[in-house]
Amino acid sequence: MRAYLAFIKKEGLELIRTYKLLLMFLIFFAFGVMSPLMAKLMPDLMSQLALEGIEISLPEPSAIDCYAQFFKNLTQMGLLVIVLMFSGMLTQELGKGTLVHLVTKGLPKSTILLAKYTVASLSWTACLLLAFSVTYGYTVYLFSGDEIFHLFYSVSVLWLFGLFLLAVSSFFQTIVKSQATQLILVAFCIGGLFLLKLFPKMEEYNPLTLVTDNVAMLDKAYDLTSLTIPIFMTIGLTIVLLLGSLLAFFKKQL
Amino acid sequence: MNVLEVKSLTKQFGTKTVLRDISFTIPSQCIFGFLGQNGAGKTTTMKLILGLLQANSGEIFVCGEPVVYGNTKTNRWIGYLPDVPEFYSYMTPREYLSLCGEITGLAKDEIRSRCDELLELVGLSKENRRIGGFSRGMKQRLGIAQALLNNPKLLICDEPTSALDPVGRKEILDVLLKAKEKTAILFSTHILTDVEQICDQVAILHEGELVLNGSLEDLKKQHAKNQIRLVFKEEHQACQLQSLLVTDARIKEVHQQDTTLNVEVNDLEEDGRYLLKVILESGVPIYQFEVLEPTLEALFMEVIA
Amino acid sequence: MNQLADYLPFLIPLVVAQLGLAIFSVIHVLKHPQYRFGNKALWVVVVLVFQFIGPAVYFLFGRGDQE
Repeated sequence: MRAYLAFIKKEGLELIRTYKLLLMFLIFFAFGVMSPLMAKLMPDLMSQLALEGIEISLPEPSAIDCYAQFFKNLTQMGLLVIVLMFSGMLTQELGKGTLVHLVTKGLPKSTILLAKYTVASLSWTACLLLAFSVTYGYTVYLFSGDEIFHLFYSVSVLWLFGLFLLAVSSFFQTIVKSQATQLILVAFCIGGLFLLKLFPKMEEYNPLTLVTDNVAMLDKAYDLTSLTIPIFMTIGLTIVLLLGSLLAFFKKQL
Repeated sequence: MNVLEVKSLTKQFGTKTVLRDISFTIPSQCIFGFLGQNGAGKTTTMKLILGLLQANSGEIFVCGEPVVYGNTKTNRWIGYLPDVPEFYSYMTPREYLSLCGEITGLAKDEIRSRCDELLELVGLSKENRRIGGFSRGMKQRLGIAQALLNNPKLLICDEPTSALDPVGRKEILDVLLKAKEKTAILFSTHILTDVEQICDQVAILHEGELVLNGSLEDLKKQHAKNQIRLVFKEEHQACQLQSLLVTDARIKEVHQQDTTLNVEVNDLEEDGRYLLKVILESGVPIYQFEVLEPTLEALFMEVIA
Repeated sequence: MNQLADYLPFLIPLVVAQLGLAIFSVIHVLKHPQYRFGNKALWVVVVLVFQFIGPAVYFLFGRGDQE
């Protein structure tokens, strides 16, 4: 336990001193500001385009538009940034050989992997919270009257999917040597999930639902129970992937 | 008690056998020189002892406990210095040692006192820069500090002096001699003078096999030939004497190279005296007469030839 | 756009974050002239032109090991 905490401290120090934490916070802060900005800007931009004499009646922007922008940013760029940030957490150390000292000092490999996954997850949690609270603040300030349903639920499943992606990344980092190969494999996995979406029968099991249906979830009529299977699927896959990476990392020669 | 026991160890990478049936032991308070050319299998042996690689067959015991691949408990007895130690460039040496201390499970105040002590020992106590700005020698010294942190019973050093200048080498050898008071040291190198300076025991590894193993003194006695070197001013003088000695029954062998004669005899003292007498009687002026000490280098070349 | 004032609550924090990061990154690029690939000029341009993405690429892949 003490080694685990010590290694977490080391990972935290690394994020701070290599400016990665600062970078993540700034980027997610920008996501938070941009989402309501885009929602507010959109009708104005459209009306500029519509000056050519065609009358387009646009609905006034509402809170739902802010969150639509928020989920669009976070499920695409947000997840990409997080996966990129932690794409080298193991591959870089294995490549340089910095773990040799610590392992020969008695640091179990499982501790290394779990501590790294913990730090990545905590960072994702903090970044998501930051972006969400900024968007939430602006939205409440701009459109205080609008009613939104299942908002925290929708953000929570996005958060869960982020944890799943980090587990996918950890798994491939214990298997392949290069950071680039690992990123390509993660991309293939996401592509695979999108392909599975084409089969309606698989639809209700697909973890991808957690990041494609976020806006629909905000509707009062959305049936949250339809998410139960994808949620358990995602949790199950995350655990399996983590166990798999522990096994692969254990077999890996330093 | 033996700190390290290696019993008929074999390791293959794919179909290539890197180590074949290696056995040796290291007693406590002994500096064990581990010699071999590059690629002989030295680093592989060390990684097997550390449980970083999995052996195909054979056993390793550290302080009586067997080494298992993966998370081996025996590593708590061992300090390891890799050939090119790599550190986190964003940390200061003190922060790095503290991290290592926490991992080994030292108490808080013990970590602080050990850090002070070791940084002093390796001459980095005034260094507040981050490790990213360190020279190679400084990293090597920090590597030793890191390896000694947990008061190991066995210190494994993989070519610690190879990349350093003479001053840096001397510093590291001194540190190792000091460390010997508390720990046994497995010291791999291909710099033979380092071995002659500090090692008590020597093993030579050649193409995956242990071709020689014993104390430095014994090995020299067993394997070295009794040689005397004669140097003359002119080549024809050397030739002249060679023709005299070749036929002499008391002289085992004579080799001539330019102005030098290498004479092999059975007994250095008696035959040496006899040799001098022969030279005096021949009237050939001699420039140099030297009894060749058996060197590790000669030994090394002989066994790997 | 007539209602620029409407957008100020958004633009000010965004511009501060962008500029702050850009300036911070340029200083880092200039002070640490060792990169995993590319040269000083390339990284200054990358960091200044591509908002957020430029600094991210620099700190993740471009910067050298020297502290």
